[in-house]
Amino acid sequence: MRAARFSLGMAMLLLGAAAVAAPITTKEGVLPPGTELGDGVGAQPTELFATELAGGKRSDQQILGDMLFASPAIFGGVARQAGISCNTCHPQGAGNAALYVPGLSSRHGTFDTTGALFNSKADNHVFDPVTVPSLRGAKVLAPYGHDGRFASLRDFVRKVVVNEFAGPEPSDEVLDALVAYVQDIAFLPNPKLENGRLTGAASTAAHRGERIFHRPFPHDAAMSCASCHQPSSAFVDHQVHDVGTGGFFKTKTLIDADFNAPYFHDGRFDSYGQVVGYFDTHFDLGLSASERADLVAYLEAVGDAAQPTTPDSVESELAEIAAFVGVLDTAIREHNAAIVAITVDTVGDEWRELGERIPEAKDTSVPGGLRERIKARAAVREAVLALRRIDMAASRGDFDAATAAYADYRAQVAPAAVAMAAAEPWSLFNTPIRRAHVAALARLTALAK
Amino acid sequence: MQSFSQFTRGALIATFAALTLGAAAAEPLKDGAANYKPFAVEQIGIALAGAKELQAATKAGDAKAAQAAWIKSRNGWEAAEPITGEFFSKLDEAIDAWPDAKQGYHAIEAALFSGKLAEIAASTDRLVADLTEFDKELKAPGFTFTPQGLINGATKLAYEVGENKSKGGESPYAGTSILDMQQNVEGIEAVYKLVFEEPLKGTDAKLADAIDDKIEDVEGLVKVGDLKKVDQAALKRNGEELAVMLQNAALKLKLKKPAVGE
Repeated sequence: MRAARFSLGMAMLLLGAAAVAAPITTKEGVLPPGTELGDGVGAQPTELFATELAGGKRSDQQILGDMLFASPAIFGGVARQAGISCNTCHPQGAGNAALYVPGLSSRHGTFDTTGALFNSKADNHVFDPVTVPSLRGAKVLAPYGHDGRFASLRDFVRKVVVNEFAGPEPSDEVLDALVAYVQDIAFLPNPKLENGRLTGAASTAAHRGERIFHRPFPHDAAMSCASCHQPSSAFVDHQVHDVGTGGFFKTKTLIDADFNAPYFHDGRFDSYGQVVGYFDTHFDLGLSASERADLVAYLEAVGDAAQPTTPDSVESELAEIAAFVGVLDTAIREHNAAIVAITVDTVGDEWRELGERIPEAKDTSVPGGLRERIKARAAVREAVLALRRIDMAASRGDFDAATAAYADYRAQVAPAAVAMAAAEPWSLFNTPIRRAHVAALARLTALAK
Repeated sequence: MQSFSQFTRGALIATFAALTLGAAAAEPLKDGAANYKPFAVEQIGIALAGAKELQAATKAGDAKAAQAAWIKSRNGWEAAEPITGEFFSKLDEAIDAWPDAKQGYHAIEAALFSGKLAEIAASTDRLVADLTEFDKELKAPGFTFTPQGLINGATKLAYEVGENKSKGGESPYAGTSILDMQQNVEGIEAVYKLVFEEPLKGTDAKLADAIDDKIEDVEGLVKVGDLKKVDQAALKRNGEELAVMLQNAALKLKLKKPAVGE
């Protein structure tokens, strides 16, 4: 998420202990003023992989896909210019309820995928934003797209890259890797749910709601909530339905859905209460107030997760960098200069982003830790340049030199990690420091109003 | 304002003459560093003159002139950036503080370009005082640039030029970030051409030419109308490559590998 020293897009507003990015305020950038990418610091959505939950190890292909998912280089036009990647809209494979792009969003968490900004050729001249979905469990949630027009995840991913974000035609290697990564993003563990049924950990009200969920509709005994949201099948039926919202849209999973608001294809509802109220009216279910409340309790239990977010830290960022850079093991061995280049660019961006979370010496809003901050920022820069040396060697076809440069990079990472850890107390990962930094940014922004 | 290419016509002739005569051949880097000083003096002079014009325009209540003066001052400052933090870190911190809204270019910029001329009087006075001090220290006969410090500064700036500014650059309220970037590249070019190019040609002509070409590439990437038109990915790659090449050049010239931290 990619940051310039003076990027106001990095300005963060404090919301409790967490922080989200403030809107972009300058007209200088490629994104319209008022854009919010939600790239704050504080906590990230938890990301778990099916392979690892099964006790295995992610494949090289899945890790390549993970890295490409975070790379603006697979996109074109404005997205690439703005440093937007798949991960911008789907951070750690989750949805992004904070996303807002003026002219493309009707509300936070929605985005018009057929607008002109990112690909004028795909502009349908209709303002029709849709929600940015979570990709957790995508492997079992076909068809793809809100209207379910893609049976294949691979075709859908290609459409996103090429049509929505004006990227060049992706190679088979790129597409296969992206799909392998997305298919491995798992639902989050939920102790209240087992094999589609509530467990004893769920509330009494939720259990009452579960019975309502399975109860036949009064005017059509063949139907119930569960007939479309099939509990045994990740709460989907792999179909599209017209439920009076302007067309046929696919059944959404209810798993992890507590973290997927706003709801419905266009994000028209903020809460389960509104959703239940809508279906009660639309299907003339005749629910009492307490039944509606029980149904909401059920949805909340089904959509819950033990640990929906993971604290952001130097350690977690370095772990991601280490995973991504591992792509070079194979790419250098296979003399794959294209993958080396994209990996160096992407991992370099990750390093730069991490470095921006360590306030520079000129940031007088941050007291103390000057020596540690300077050392850490220097280590980040050395890491970025060490990576660039790998790419420079690979791009001239000298893979022996690339191998040596990679070894040099690896030798630098350990001390860099130590320097970063030492600077962490004075970094934006630390809430009081972040508050001081944000307050200074806010003063500057206020001065400019 | 005199550009680097205009500046170099005179300065390079002097440099080459000295080198050709062999008078300074024993320590070409030190001589190069000495030859760089007039460029730095000129750019800080521009920064100071602009700041004084800003001060006068502020007192006169002329917002348009004040904005033009801020931009002029900023241009000089940005061209001198290879040496500001490296050799004058305390003054650099005061003059170019961020995001501190109390002093320096950015505090003034935020108020000035949002029509609050009355609010910048004190910070402008301070800027003039700081730049006057900078100018004085720089011009002091005893002050000399070290080749190591110069290549450190140029390498750092090459890295920083590659920072992604797609969400707004260094001067977002003035809308002149692209000028900052152009001046930065000019500053790098000045350091390289005046100090390092000729000595490097003597030890590794191929690398010397490659750096020359790379500076030209970076220059081409920022020579666009506004920030939106900058190919950010290409600029980052080329900026990093230039930084790597300058690190390599330092080693060839028996200097230490430039540290790229602040």
